[in-house]
Amino acid sequence: MSDETLSYEQARTELASVVERLETGGSSLEESLALWERGEKLADICQGWLDGARDRIDTARRARTEGA
Amino acid sequence: MTDTDAGGVPRSTAEEPWPVRVVSQKVGAWIAKLGWVWVDGQVAQISRRPGASVVFLTLRDPSADLSLTVTAHRDVLDAGAPELAEGARVTLHAKPEFYPARGTLSLRADEIRQVGLGELLARLEKLKKLLAAEGLFARERKRRPPFLPRRVGLITGRASAAERDVLMNTRRRWPAVDIRVLNVPVQGPTAVPQIIDALKVLDNDDTVDVIVLARGGGSVEDLLPFSDEALCRAVFGCRTPVVSAIGHETDAPLVDYVADVRASTPTDAAKRIVPDLAEESRLIDQARRRLDRAVATMLDRETHRIEAWRSRPSLARPEAMIEQRAADVVALRDRAGRSLDVRLRAAGEELRHTVAQLRALSPAATLERGYAIVQRADGHVVRAASEVTPGDILRVRLAEGELRVTAEQEQG
Repeated sequence: MSDETLSYEQARTELASVVERLETGGSSLEESLALWERGEKLADICQGWLDGARDRIDTARRARTEGA
Repeated sequence: MTDTDAGGVPRSTAEEPWPVRVVSQKVGAWIAKLGWVWVDGQVAQISRRPGASVVFLTLRDPSADLSLTVTAHRDVLDAGAPELAEGARVTLHAKPEFYPARGTLSLRADEIRQVGLGELLARLEKLKKLLAAEGLFARERKRRPPFLPRRVGLITGRASAAERDVLMNTRRRWPAVDIRVLNVPVQGPTAVPQIIDALKVLDNDDTVDVIVLARGGGSVEDLLPFSDEALCRAVFGCRTPVVSAIGHETDAPLVDYVADVRASTPTDAAKRIVPDLAEESRLIDQARRRLDRAVATMLDRETHRIEAWRSRPSLARPEAMIEQRAADVVALRDRAGRSLDVRLRAAGEELRHTVAQLRALSPAATLERGYAIVQRADGHVVRAASEVTPGDILRVRLAEGELRVTAEQEQG
């Protein structure tokens, strides 16, 4: 599942597990670093979905007010 | 040989045609074969010329656009149906007669009975049971008119109150509605056939999505056409949904039971066939607002959730994981350093101790005091002269340096 096709829910679920694993610790430095990077990327993906949704709503509303 | 018909009577042929008199005589014979019949019909016309003994009636079929001339002796009429008026429903006992002179046909009645209202209503009830049994009133056969019809078909009396009510109220609710009106007589003998025709026309008009049959209030007789069997069957046969709005709230002609929707009055019919634009747009706006709110709240909630995760320490301050490890490393380095010191010091101690031991054991001090160590070639340290034979090369080690000597001889 490449990151692009990750749905919002999938990204959010993975983000939750990454944070959990980071907080429970016990992984090597290399792993923790990789986990941290993954966490940041997933958060960006989620944010991307949310911003996209907000844009779509705004454009729809603008279209509606212009159209009405 | 002229061919003959079944009865052996010679047929007419092109070569031997029958004269008119023969044909009209045969026709008369055929017609007479029907004999006496009881006929149900509606009086469309009565002509009673003063002094004339014979009365002429035009009798119409209650449903179909057909009529027959009836002749009756004045007494017969006076006896059976004294103040017979046009539009009255009658039952008469008559025989068909053919008048050769003008080739006309009429029924000669020897008994005429006027059908009273009670009788009419009784017939209506009977018809109602029949139609019900046949399933014409079945609820599952009723079709729902479309929420918003493209075009409404309206069958009603010309310039009647019903027409005005339906048009005004429908347009008030949905100004853009398209209505096709067919005006018909809504009472009297010609009503039923014309309404049935109008129904066919509108039913076949594919643009019409719902048909309204509207009539204002009226007497029981006035409303009778709307309980006519043929009309009920025509309404039932329509593919397009039919809304019946006949008379007042309390009136319930049979067509009400057959129609897909029964409206209590023409005004009520308007409510049933078109939505109220103002109401609908208000509902749509409301729905749209609720949509916006729902999506907005959902987005906010999710955004907070993501922010919550982002601000979790393990993500927000990745340095923490490095700091911790860095601290560990420093701690380890310290420990390493300390343990190294300890060990070095111990090693140093140990070395000094060993060296001291070494020195204590080592002959150096003795040599310092002028002694020397003599070794044979094989390294054996000489303790007794006997261990050496003359000529042996010996190694004499002094405090400083060493000598190579050769043994000469043993002394005493």
